[in-house]
Amino acid sequence: MDGLLFRSAEELFTRHATPEAVRAIRAGGPASALWGEIEASGFLEALVPEEAGGAGIGPPEILPVLLAAGRFALPLPIAETMLARAALVATGETPPEGAIALAEPAGEHMARLAPGQPADWVLLPQGETALLLPWDKAEPDTDASSALADLLRWPAGTGRSLACPDLLAAGAWAEVAIMAGAMERILEDTVRHARDRQQFGRPIAAFQAIQQQISVLTEDVFASRMAAQLASVPDGKGIAGLNPTRIATAKLRVGEAAVRVCAIAHAVHGAMGITEELDLHLLTARLQVGRMRFGGEAHWAHWLGRQFLAGDLTETLAFVRAHLGPVAPEATA
Amino acid sequence: MIGALPLAAIPPEDEALRPEIRDFLRETVPVIPPERRARSWMGFDADFSRKLAERGWLGLTFPKEYGGAGRGPFARYVLAEELLASGAPVSAHWIADRQSGPLIHRFGTEEQRRFYLPRICRAEAFFCIGMSEPNTGSDLASVTTRAVRDRDGWRLNGAKIWTTNAHRSHYMIALVRTSGTPQDRHKGLSQVIVDLKAPGVRISPIRDLAGDAHFSEVVFEDVVLPADALIGEESSGWMQVNAELAFERSGPERVLSSAVLLDTWAQWLREAGAHQAAETLLGRLIAHLAVLRAMSIAVTSRLVEGESPVVEAALVKDLGTEFEQLIPTVIADILASPGQVAPGPLMRTLAYTTAMAPSFSLRGGTREILRGMIARGMGLR
Ligand SMILES: Cc1cc2nc3c(=O)[nH]c(=O)nc-3n(C[C@H](O)[C@H](O)[C@H](O)COP(=O)(O)OP(=O)(O)OC[C@H]3O[C@@H](n4cnc5c(N)ncnc54)[C@H](O)[C@@H]3O)c2cc1C
Repeated sequence: MDGLLFRSAEELFTRHATPEAVRAIRAGGPASALWGEIEASGFLEALVPEEAGGAGIGPPEILPVLLAAGRFALPLPIAETMLARAALVATGETPPEGAIALAEPAGEHMARLAPGQPADWVLLPQGETALLLPWDKAEPDTDASSALADLLRWPAGTGRSLACPDLLAAGAWAEVAIMAGAMERILEDTVRHARDRQQFGRPIAAFQAIQQQISVLTEDVFASRMAAQLASVPDGKGIAGLNPTRIATAKLRVGEAAVRVCAIAHAVHGAMGITEELDLHLLTARLQVGRMRFGGEAHWAHWLGRQFLAGDLTETLAFVRAHLGPVAPEATA
Repeated sequence: MIGALPLAAIPPEDEALRPEIRDFLRETVPVIPPERRARSWMGFDADFSRKLAERGWLGLTFPKEYGGAGRGPFARYVLAEELLASGAPVSAHWIADRQSGPLIHRFGTEEQRRFYLPRICRAEAFFCIGMSEPNTGSDLASVTTRAVRDRDGWRLNGAKIWTTNAHRSHYMIALVRTSGTPQDRHKGLSQVIVDLKAPGVRISPIRDLAGDAHFSEVVFEDVVLPADALIGEESSGWMQVNAELAFERSGPERVLSSAVLLDTWAQWLREAGAHQAAETLLGRLIAHLAVLRAMSIAVTSRLVEGESPVVEAALVKDLGTEFEQLIPTVIADILASPGQVAPGPLMRTLAYTTAMAPSFSLRGGTREILRGMIARGMGLR
């Protein structure tokens, strides 16, 4: 099943999310053509239950599609829209048409969003509720914005308040999936470059220093993929069964990996990797953005450490088995 | 390129072993101070191994006809996890149970199986592994210890070193040259079982930097071996050794070597109170543990399916030993606040683990060698 979904997502993105299309949208160009294709694929209804007209599939099954989105550095909130639609349906709302970006609160009617990633709506968490805000009513705060985040502000009184908890952890899950996918593509590109690029009369892949670095890169990419899989086990009370303990674990592990992955990939690519022309920076920039969205390593590590100390299980392995195993605890009983 | 590792789970029938094991360990292990439990699979206690044998927990994966329990690798996985996490002293039987027994089962003759496997299951036969030599480390194919045909059997000369438990084991499985010269590399290597009480075997324990003596130098002078000392085919030693190493690289041994330190520190945080930096560090280590465990289980499940995920196993071992080495490093840092006095047992556990941590990425193949294997798997060499 997930092999099938992955292939159809890869096909869709190969055709419509070409590096040129990605660059154009990031530069502020229209996204409606690509978004239309994604909408037509049905992926965006994945997490909405069947009885509410969705596909009713869970996070583990849809993960491959998000990994594929990461591989293409897709500059559209595909995971976020899936989550927002599921969250809105769960509160009895009919989701509005179009792309919904998940935001982090950044002050009164202020939202922090992934840069260069347009949407039609913004869902802005406010504790146990969330504000649904129209994108076209937003004022960008250019002074507070950067290549790491766009800040948008709305006039007071804009938007509707909805009962929608758990969005921050859900947003972190989306980042984990996208980042793990981006890292897989970075690994493939880095291996290919190391075999093609010649210095001292040999491919640089022949040098042991390069081999050892790419081995470390490989380890981090495999660990990140595993972290994303662990985070997708639906044994929690969040949207579509997402579990914050799993997401905390994955977000911090993937964030740590992203640092090493970016450093090694750039080191191996040399000066070529610093150019606008090469696609590498589309992927590494996505990792740097993702690392800072919905909580970084220190945030989630602190959360997880407190979670452990507040619980009854005093052995770390016992805690991992109970909360962070490869399957939901009921299934192993 | 190597494929992604899908999530895999421990089957419920193997998971079902866990409560009984935990009950047993709760009665037997906590009396041992943490600085001794920190020795993990280097802690030797023949009586403890015999107690496990009485429970039927040695040779879990060997067929019943040889005294085993006929269980799969995941049964052993559950047992190993609990033993290592608690810091039980398992070294006496560990190599026989994990490596030598399965090797004899796979490549040995029926007579060899009937002789050795039941003894391993009863904790009456402890094994050691003679691969390294004074001039043979990472370059294992360069071994010079030699067994030559002599009447019905073999005559053995040479020396092994760093042999864990040689001075307290009954048998060694040695990788030796049976034909050709070191220039022939992996051709002409074979594996033989040596009875360590045989005349001409001289064993000298080597003291380690923490004051223990767990490994030895073993010198062979005209040691006479019977014909049935050979395991598997003559000249198949290289292939057999590599099959053996793939199995031992991805297990809980490569994730849990510092588990006693981690849990001792976490327990102290519970009792004495934790500040934000300590809570953050603890969360980070738990996250690493969770991901590594899932990877290790995924690789084990590939082994169960009869595949040979050599590269994936190398990947888990390198990441796992890095984690094991991270634990003492970061705990030392966080305990080094002026004015803070950590309890003696915790500090002694830290001292031991810190001192031995460099060995985690040497034994079983060094970090650099493993990364070379991964690079080959990725098509770089
Ligand atoms: C606690 C402990 C228990 C052990 N128990 C046993 C045992 O029971 N039986 C047994 O046979 N052996 C045992 N060993 C030995 C272990 O297998 C060796 O230490 C290991 O194979 C490395 O060999 P070496 O120590 O000679 O190091 P060397 O091979 O000399 O390596 C030294 C350094 O050079 C690097 N290096 C070597 N070759 C290369 C290369 N081609 N490319 C890049 N770098 C390279 C290594 O990675 C390492 O960093 C044990 C070791 C320890 C620490």
